[in-house]
Amino acid sequence: MKKAIALALAGVMSVGLLAGCGSSGSSSSGAASESATGETSATTASDSGSGSGDLSISWWGGDSRHTAYQNALAAFTEETGIQVSTHYGAWSGWEDQTSAALYSDNAEDVMQVNWNWLSQYSGDGSKFVDLNEYSDIIDLSQFPQSTLDACTVAGKLQALPVSMTGRIFYWNMNTFKQAGIEEVPSTLDDLYAAGEAFKTNLGDDYYPLALGEYDRMLLMTFYLESTYGKPWVEDNTLQYTVEEIATGIDFIQSLEDNHVIPSLQTMNAAGIDGNNSIDKSEQWINGMYAGIFEWDSSATKYQGSLADPSGFTVGNEIKFGDKANGGFSKVSMGLAITETCQDKEAAAKLINFLLNGDGASIMGSECGIPNSASGLAAAEAAGAVDELVLEANTKVMAFVDFQLDPTYESNDLKANPGGVYTDVFGGYSYGEYADSTEAATDLYDGVTEALEDAAKG
Amino acid sequence: MSTASASVRRSPFKKWCDQNTGLFFLIPWILGFLIFKFYPFASSLYYSFTDMNFFKGIREYGIMNYIDIFTEKETRTALLITFKYAFITVPLKLVFALFIAYILNFKIKFVNLFRTVYYIPSILGGSVAIAVLWRALFRDTGVINTLLSFFGIQGPDWLADRTWALFIICLLRVWQFGSAMVLFLAALKGVSVDLYEAATIDGASKTRQFFSITVPMITPVIFYNLVTQIAQAFQEFNGPYIITGGGPRNSTTLVALLVYNYAFKENEMGMACALAWVMFVIVMVLTVIAFSSQKHWVYYAD
Repeated sequence: MKKAIALALAGVMSVGLLAGCGSSGSSSSGAASESATGETSATTASDSGSGSGDLSISWWGGDSRHTAYQNALAAFTEETGIQVSTHYGAWSGWEDQTSAALYSDNAEDVMQVNWNWLSQYSGDGSKFVDLNEYSDIIDLSQFPQSTLDACTVAGKLQALPVSMTGRIFYWNMNTFKQAGIEEVPSTLDDLYAAGEAFKTNLGDDYYPLALGEYDRMLLMTFYLESTYGKPWVEDNTLQYTVEEIATGIDFIQSLEDNHVIPSLQTMNAAGIDGNNSIDKSEQWINGMYAGIFEWDSSATKYQGSLADPSGFTVGNEIKFGDKANGGFSKVSMGLAITETCQDKEAAAKLINFLLNGDGASIMGSECGIPNSASGLAAAEAAGAVDELVLEANTKVMAFVDFQLDPTYESNDLKANPGGVYTDVFGGYSYGEYADSTEAATDLYDGVTEALEDAAKG
Repeated sequence: MSTASASVRRSPFKKWCDQNTGLFFLIPWILGFLIFKFYPFASSLYYSFTDMNFFKGIREYGIMNYIDIFTEKETRTALLITFKYAFITVPLKLVFALFIAYILNFKIKFVNLFRTVYYIPSILGGSVAIAVLWRALFRDTGVINTLLSFFGIQGPDWLADRTWALFIICLLRVWQFGSAMVLFLAALKGVSVDLYEAATIDGASKTRQFFSITVPMITPVIFYNLVTQIAQAFQEFNGPYIITGGGPRNSTTLVALLVYNYAFKENEMGMACALAWVMFVIVMVLTVIAFSSQKHWVYYAD
């Protein structure tokens, strides 16, 4: 009898083990998973079964974005009766887990996606649904055709653009005034003068601007495009020679040499690196770093982290050369439906609600200025568009000349650590290169290789 | 009916079942091993000979990953740093653990409290919270530099300087000496008091007793700690990932972190698998060397 019981137990354990291995298809998971109404949700997409209407959604962002999404999803549930479980977190490490989830067909039904993910992770169209097929549910006419085209990869409209974005300067004018500067910098000479004033009047620890490795790459691209009047990449080909890129690297180094920006060693010592962004640093919070070059949709995040946010000001774009304004805009992010979603119609309803419907009035400008005309109108009517974000977005869109190539943000180039941008700008700032030409050669080779890799598909 | 005749009439299947009852009890473990250990192990070896990318699939087969590992600067640097890390932390940790265990082996007041206090870092040390705390301690305006400034010393950029950053990571590992210390303590208690009494009568000093009695008698535990610490050092991930992110300038990118970066940041699973296998072979070779050397220096009383 004892033997029989023991055998039965062993058998049950074996079955249990195998059951644990079974694929659950699409299921929401993660430490931050909870229902849209704030209660812990046991419902997952796989549990819901076909047609039950239950969905999952994931996004990254700061606290204010989390709150906006949760409120919007609660309104969606109230309106449709569809429960939505959520998975969200900060940007740091987000792409690592998202790419793994996408590969394993374990991602949420609706995903907030970075624009370049469409080509990087679904270049063959296998991961995201063609939203054209749901045009009877989603009002696609609210979006400019150019942005829909930008989200069309492999012949499929794989995401709907949430907003357009570009980089712009933000200044903490409280610190600038302490340094004796009353006006925001508008020229390169203003930047150099600010560097000198900060050093003289406030000390070595104060800088008018702080740039990480990727920020340096972006600002260099603005500089080069303005100086040479051509886009960084066109037709999947890098448009710049090594010599031209070297002038851009020299430009970035001139900012460091003139005390406009701290060296990367100084920033690393302050705890700012690939895992920790500038807004979380004591130097930014207390105003020792008094400027950033950031996405126009990030205004509230950087303003919110300041100890005294009263001086936070949207700056002007700076024209560095005479051939063009320089700079670029891009689709900041999109909402996509994964192919593993069990109830794609409900997912389409959710996207339409968030971008075109009442959800847009709750989301406001938390993900940038809405790209959808009806979404923008709803957000403005509700007074949910942050003036800072609107001001920044307006300035960016009025200034920039060029569109961004999706490969620009590929992980091979952008990853920190390990990406080409990080290696080149980090290496140059740390004095690992003999000269800017050597660094420019590495950047040229790295970008060219990434473009060739992208062309292979 | 006799028992013997009943046994003779049992079917061959039942007989086989009776003889292999143990196998049924092993089935859960065997399944777990095959699914969660053997399959990933074998498939990672297969993928290491491909250019497997999460989203591009396999386009090429060959030994290109292994060639890259030994020719590319990034991987060679990571291997070098990992060796440096292991060869700094393992001896330091063993010496420090033995030293503390030796002290705690004396009959002193509050010895149990001290043993607990010294063991706590082992429980906490590998956690994310401690790594974050470590980061805060050693940043430019952190507690360490603030304390140094009281003595008029300008502390270095611990986390931004390539030499100091590795030192900080090593320090965190050495600080987690508790597990090794507990094993040493148990071993020290197992050394016969008779040996020390005899040595004392013969006029041996405490130092001589330590090196001629204590150390030889606990060599099996030293050996065990050495092998496990080497294996753990080569797998270190949490410290560099959280404290420095592998920086500055890859100076703390250990192999385990690079495997993670290849797999989940760059989606190059083939390269990640190959690097993991190289690390496995390195640990295996070092373990084999340790095992083959034990006959020269490890003393088993029985």
